[in-house]
Amino acid sequence: MKRFPKKALIVVTAVGLAVSLTGCGGGANNNDGKGSSQNETLVAEQTFDLKTLDPARSFELSSGTIIQAVYEAALQFDNGDQTKIIPWLCDYTISADNKVVTLKMNDKYKAKFSNGDPVTIDDVVFSYQRLQGIKGNPSFLLDGVTVAKSGDDTATLTTEDGNAALPYILPGIRVLNAKEVKANGGTTDETDAAQNFLDKNTQGSGAYKVESYNPDSEVVLSLNEHYAGKTPKFKRVVLKNVSGDTQLTDIQSGQTHVAFSLNQDQIKGLDSKSVEVKSVASQRTAYIYLNANPEVNAFTANQDFRDAVRYAVDYDKVYELAGEGASPIASLVPNQFLGAVPKSKAAKRDLTKAKASLAKSGYNGEVIPFNYDSTQNVGGLSVAKLAESLSAQLKEAGINIELKPAAGAAQLDGYRSGKHSMGIGAWGADFPDPADYLVFTPGQSLAKRVQWADGMAPEVSELAAAAVKATGDARGPAYTKLYEKLTEVGPFVPLVQPAQSIVVNKQNVKKFVSTTDRIFEFAKAE
Amino acid sequence: MAIAAVDAQQRVKPPKLHPLLRYILIRLGLSVLLIWGVTVITFTLTNLVPVDPVQSLLGELESANPARVAQMREQLGLDKPLIVQYFTYLGHLLQGNLGVSNQTRMPVLESIGNVFPASIELGLSAIVIAVLVGLALGLLSALKQNTVVDYVIRALSLIGISAPTFWVAIMGYYFFFFKLRVVSGAGRLDPWLTPPPRVTGLYTIDSLIAGDMATFGNALQHLVLPSCVLALFTIGLLTRFSRSSVLDVINLDYVTAARAKGLPYRTVVFKYIFRGAMVPIITVVGLAFGSLLSGAVLTETVFAWNGLGQFAYRGATTLDLPVIMGVGLVIGIVYIGMNFLVDVIYGFVDPRVRVR
Repeated sequence: MKRFPKKALIVVTAVGLAVSLTGCGGGANNNDGKGSSQNETLVAEQTFDLKTLDPARSFELSSGTIIQAVYEAALQFDNGDQTKIIPWLCDYTISADNKVVTLKMNDKYKAKFSNGDPVTIDDVVFSYQRLQGIKGNPSFLLDGVTVAKSGDDTATLTTEDGNAALPYILPGIRVLNAKEVKANGGTTDETDAAQNFLDKNTQGSGAYKVESYNPDSEVVLSLNEHYAGKTPKFKRVVLKNVSGDTQLTDIQSGQTHVAFSLNQDQIKGLDSKSVEVKSVASQRTAYIYLNANPEVNAFTANQDFRDAVRYAVDYDKVYELAGEGASPIASLVPNQFLGAVPKSKAAKRDLTKAKASLAKSGYNGEVIPFNYDSTQNVGGLSVAKLAESLSAQLKEAGINIELKPAAGAAQLDGYRSGKHSMGIGAWGADFPDPADYLVFTPGQSLAKRVQWADGMAPEVSELAAAAVKATGDARGPAYTKLYEKLTEVGPFVPLVQPAQSIVVNKQNVKKFVSTTDRIFEFAKAE
Repeated sequence: MAIAAVDAQQRVKPPKLHPLLRYILIRLGLSVLLIWGVTVITFTLTNLVPVDPVQSLLGELESANPARVAQMREQLGLDKPLIVQYFTYLGHLLQGNLGVSNQTRMPVLESIGNVFPASIELGLSAIVIAVLVGLALGLLSALKQNTVVDYVIRALSLIGISAPTFWVAIMGYYFFFFKLRVVSGAGRLDPWLTPPPRVTGLYTIDSLIAGDMATFGNALQHLVLPSCVLALFTIGLLTRFSRSSVLDVINLDYVTAARAKGLPYRTVVFKYIFRGAMVPIITVVGLAFGSLLSGAVLTETVFAWNGLGQFAYRGATTLDLPVIMGVGLVIGIVYIGMNFLVDVIYGFVDPRVRVR
C-alpha cells in the first residue's frame, strides 16, 4: 500500500502540469514574413455589433468604424466641425431655394479605388441610387431625392420641397466602385445581391481595404495601394471583437492600441501614465419616454405627471453616471448641432415642484412599469445602471416605478409596439442636422412609439412645419423654437448627452486624430 | 467476454451480427431519432419566443413602415404557417443547409464552421487537462483517505467547483497575462500573425501540419490559460467523482483477492481498482466534455475566444432564429454524440453491457 502509488501519481500529475504549462516557454513572437510586422500592425478592440460592411446596408457602430477607413464620401466635415462642410471627392453648390444640390468632381483630389480605377461621377451617382433603391436601413437618408448625372463630372440631387440638410447628409454616404459592384450582383433596386461580395471585397477609395472579414471575431484591413491621401503609418489594422473587461486589461498592457468600448466606470480607474483617454461629445442623447395614450397608462399621458418626472430626476447624479465629458441637454438635440436648445436651459431638479405637479396629476403611488435595454450602453453610460439610479431618484419624489429590464431584441419589440408605459430611450443622429429629430414630432416614427399622435400637440406640429420651410440662417432659430416647445409639452424627458470615449495606449500610438465625426482615424494614427 | 461468446454460440443459426456491432447499431439508430427530436424541440421553442425577430433587423425608420415590415417577414419566410416553416427547415437541413443568419446574411453552416473549431480546440485541451489532473487527484485522495493529503485535495476540488468561472477568468487573465506576463493575451493568436492554412481549423494542429513551429508555439501560449480556467470546474468535479468511485471498489472482494494473490501494488491499483471504478467516471467525462464544447460562453467572452458560445450568445440577443436553431442542433448533436461514444466505450470496458 505504501510503495508504488507515489511514483505513479507523481508521473501522472507531472504530465498534467506539463501539458498545462508547455506554452509558457514555447512561443516566439517574431514575425515570420507573413502579413506585416508587429509595429506596422494597429490592433483595435471593440464589442462588435457587426452585420455587414456594405455601406448601403450598414447601420451599426462597428461597421461605421471600418467603413470610415475604407470608403470616402463626396463631401466631409471640416476637421470634425459638424456645422461646416468642405469638399472631398466632390465639391458642391446648393440653390437658393435648397431644391438642387450640384456635385462636381474635385479636381484637386484624384482618388482611386483599391483596384486602381479612378473615382468618377458615375460611381457617385450609382452609389447614391443604390443606397436609395435597395431599401436598406440607411435608405431613408436620400428619401425624396432625385439623383442624376448632369455632365462629364457633375451630378444633381433634386428635391421637390427643398432640403437644406442635404449637404450635411452626404458626408455619411460612401462612394463605391460602380463597375466592380455591378459585376458582382450590385443593382440600384431590391434585387441587389452584392452584400456578401462587399463584406469580403470592399470597393472603396479610402486608405484601407478589407483583407479578411469575420463578423463574429475580427476584421483585418490592409493598405489600399492606390490611396490618394498620405500613406498611413500602420499598414495593417486588426479590429477584434473583445468584451469590455478584457479591453481594460489589454489597453493597459499594450496588447492593443485602441479600446473603443470601455464604459465610464472602467475609464475612471485607468492609469494616465500608460494610456490616454479621449472624450468627445457624442451624437447620442438619452431620455425618458412616457406613453401619451391614456389607455396604456393614465398617468404617463398626463402633462402634470410628466412635469413631475422632469423635476424629480436628479440630473447631477445622471451626469456623474455618464462620466467625464457628458453634458446637460435642454432638448433631444445634441449641443453641438445647429438648432440645439442652449444647455443652460436644461431642466434642474426641484422636488417641491415635482411633488406639487404630482398632486395635481392625481397620482397616488401607483406602480408604473419602466422598460429599458439592460445590455445597452450609450456612449459609455450603462443604461442598466441609469435605470437603477432613476428608480431611486423618482422614489424620492414619490413616484414608484418597477424596473423591467430586457435584452436587445426583446426590449426593442415591446418598445416599438407602443405598449410601454415608460422607459429609457436613446437616439443617435443619422446625420448632424436638427432635421433628423423631426421623428420625435407628433405622429412621426419615434413619437408613435409612445402613441403621441398627430393632432395631440398642434403647436409643436406647426413649429415643425415652419422649421422645415426655413432656409439659410433662419433654420437654426426655427428648429430651436420647435425643440424647446417639444421638450416642454412632449412625452420625452431629456436626460443627458453622454461623451464618446476611446482609450489609446501611449506606448503604441504617439499621435492620433479624434473628432466628434470620426472618433479614431486609423489612417492618421502614428 | 467468455460468457458472451458462449451465449452467442448457443443461439447461433441465421448469421447473426456480432453482439458488439449490433449494440452499436442500435445505439446509432437511437441517436438519429434523438437528433430529429432535437430539431423539433429547437424549432418549436425558438418560434415560441413572443418577440418579433424582424424588429432587430430594421432600423427605427424602416420598422415604422408596415409595408417594409411585411416585406421583411416574407423575405425571411415568417409569413408562412409554422408547420410549413418547419418542413422547409427540415428539408434544407437534410441537404446540409442550416439557413442564412438574419443578421449577417452569412450561411449559418459557414459561421459554425468558423467558430466551432475554436471551441473544439479549447474544449479538447481543457478536457485533457481535467482528466489528467482530476483523475490523478481523485485517485490519490482515495488512496490516502482521511489523511492531510485527502483533506487538501477535497478542499481544492470544492474551490474548483464553486469558484465562478467569469471571475476566475478575469482574475487569471489579469495576473497571468498582465502582471506576470507568463501567457499570451486574449484571442487565439497574436494579432500580427496570420492563422495557419486551414485543415482542421484547430490552430495548434494546423500549424504543426504546416510545420510552422513559431505559430504553433504562439497558438499554444494563447490556449494555455483559457483551457486551464475552463478545466478548473471539471477538475473539481472529476476529482470528487473519481475519489468516491475508487472508494466504492477499493474494499470489494475481488480487490482483496487480487492483493491476497500477492500481485504487485501497481497492478492492483491500475488493473483492478481503476478499471472497476472506470465506468461511472466515463459517464461523467463524456458529459463534461459535451458541456466544455458547448457551454464555454463566459470563458470565451473573457479571452476573446470566438467560439460557439459567443456565437450563440449573439444569436440569442439579436433573436437571429437560424443561428439559434443551428447552434441548438450542433449542441444537441454534440451531446448525443458524446452519449453514443460513452455507450460504445461501456461496451468495450464492461462486457456485461453489450450482452443485455
